[in-house]
Amino acid sequence: MTPPRLSNPLSTPPIINFHVLTMRPLMLHGHERAITQIRYNYDGDLLFSVAKDHKPTVWYSDNGERLGTYNGHNGAVWCIDVNLDSTLVLTGAADDTAKLWDCEKGVAIQTWNTSSAIRSCGFSHLGNLLMFSTEDRKDVDCEIFVYDTRSNEGAVSRIKVEGERVSSGLWGPFDEFIITGHADGKVRHYDYRNNKCIKQQHMHRGTVTDLQLSQDKTMIITSSKDCNAMLYDVDELSLIKTFRTDRPVNSAAISPIKDHVVLGGGQEAMEVTTTTTKSGKFEAKFFHLIHAEEIGRVKGHFGPINSLKFHPNGKSYSSGGEDGYVRVHNFDPSYFEFEIEF
Amino acid sequence: MTMTYDSTENGSSWADRMEKEEVTFDGNKKIVTHHELTEDGMFKITKIYEIKRIPKSVALRREWGKFGDASSDGKGVNPSTTQVAEDVDLTLTTNTETLEQDDDPLKKLGSQHKMVSCRYCKGDHWSSKCPYKDTLGATTMLEEANNSQAPPDNSNGAQSGGSGVGNLPTRSSGGKYVPPSLRGSDGAGGKKGELMSHSRNDDEQAAVRVTNLSEDARESDLRELFGRFGPIQRVFLAKDRKTQQSKGFAFIHFSSKEDAQSAITNLNGFGYDHLILKVEWAKPSNPR
Repeated sequence: MTPPRLSNPLSTPPIINFHVLTMRPLMLHGHERAITQIRYNYDGDLLFSVAKDHKPTVWYSDNGERLGTYNGHNGAVWCIDVNLDSTLVLTGAADDTAKLWDCEKGVAIQTWNTSSAIRSCGFSHLGNLLMFSTEDRKDVDCEIFVYDTRSNEGAVSRIKVEGERVSSGLWGPFDEFIITGHADGKVRHYDYRNNKCIKQQHMHRGTVTDLQLSQDKTMIITSSKDCNAMLYDVDELSLIKTFRTDRPVNSAAISPIKDHVVLGGGQEAMEVTTTTTKSGKFEAKFFHLIHAEEIGRVKGHFGPINSLKFHPNGKSYSSGGEDGYVRVHNFDPSYFEFEIEF
Repeated sequence: MTMTYDSTENGSSWADRMEKEEVTFDGNKKIVTHHELTEDGMFKITKIYEIKRIPKSVALRREWGKFGDASSDGKGVNPSTTQVAEDVDLTLTTNTETLEQDDDPLKKLGSQHKMVSCRYCKGDHWSSKCPYKDTLGATTMLEEANNSQAPPDNSNGAQSGGSGVGNLPTRSSGGKYVPPSLRGSDGAGGKKGELMSHSRNDDEQAAVRVTNLSEDARESDLRELFGRFGPIQRVFLAKDRKTQQSKGFAFIHFSSKEDAQSAITNLNGFGYDHLILKVEWAKPSNPR
């Protein structure tokens, strides 16, 4: 016997807009272990990937051709960044070094030795300064280092981080400050000129796994192990939207041309063997930026997605997963026609 | 590239024509035509190039030599590192239910084979996903408890009409597992359960169940809300283990039954944080 329908007079039949688009992704298989981060250069023609094997790799993003590898690290590489004109590449690794590479030749120009693993790194937008952050260990504090690429002298600044360690970081707009995400869910602004934290927001309840700016650098999206992604105003760090999912989120990216957000994540890598691929929830999820509702999902990886990036022209996106593959997805033209009707 | 056999033009010398290469532009296409003589005759060869405008810096980077592990790859894509994957679908829709349906193997199972039957409304979904869980759940449970004590002949669900939900499916307890706390006077097994439940029952009689809570409500909010009816022993707010998000129901254990009763009479139907609370006894009190 079915119960009486509880009719709600307020609910109107939703307008269902349905677009199925098929993509044939490129699979880049240059890494033997889990991908930790991927990044496009400014023009979007190069795609950089780093993994827990020791070789940062660069690819042509349009056809997936491998251009080269940057050999020299002796540990898992956690982070990578490339400067504006694609001449320098910065990587940070678990062998306690950060390396500056010649992007074209693949040789290391400079190596900084620190006392613990480097978890995040980035070039300033101007490209003159660079930052990287170290992990805290038993007798070592978590620190943020800022160096000048034009000189071989010591650090421009060295910021001691109070509280939990930095899990992700990047430069704020106009290189005014450094934005960091922390293991306890905090997001902070660090003033690298005065070596102090100038703003803090604590919304997440788990490690902030990734930070990405919108194309116009007015908003920042964070992803966290607490299964949420959050959109902040970059200056005020005020919360604009929350994107809720049912899985730890490892990376979140904002489309440069559409009001879309893509989230990637999934069950922790160590628990993967206990479940099937489907219940691991390894799909990339598309959310609407404004409605904060899910609008689509893309399958493909056999493990959690660790890093996601939109191509700077918004016509494709890439994901790097725990399975060691980077997948480059080019959107079908009908993707650009999809609009939500009200 | 297209090839067309050209046998009509025999007028001028073939050597003249061979040297000519016609170049025309059509939108973003460049069309190059020339003639070529082979053993099989004269061919007109047309090559069509699509012109893509890219920044100079990108064009320069295209010429970079390969390095590192890729230095032995040669020109072009190395198939061992770059493969084309199987097609994947991206379904863009505003209706998230279709997305869920696609994905959840359990749901598929439930809808296709009718293997799943809801405990509350007998629909073909899991009980935990029942849309009427909050409204029907409590009354169904109550009935089950009644059934286990009452003779089976009046178990047609007529008593439940008072709750405003209508006739409910009821089940006899025969053959089904009945938790010790609910095992009443209907069998020899009843005695066993009673021993255990003595101390607990007294406690639970002062416990109230709160449903339809807002997800934002915290334990401290509940303490504040219910604290005004009397001292509270314990507040349990059900949360998702992973997301730490509230599931929307809670149990409040009062020290005395009177306080609990007054909380129920005062707060049932109380509008709290845009939702209307439902407050009731946590478990049916066993008349013994």
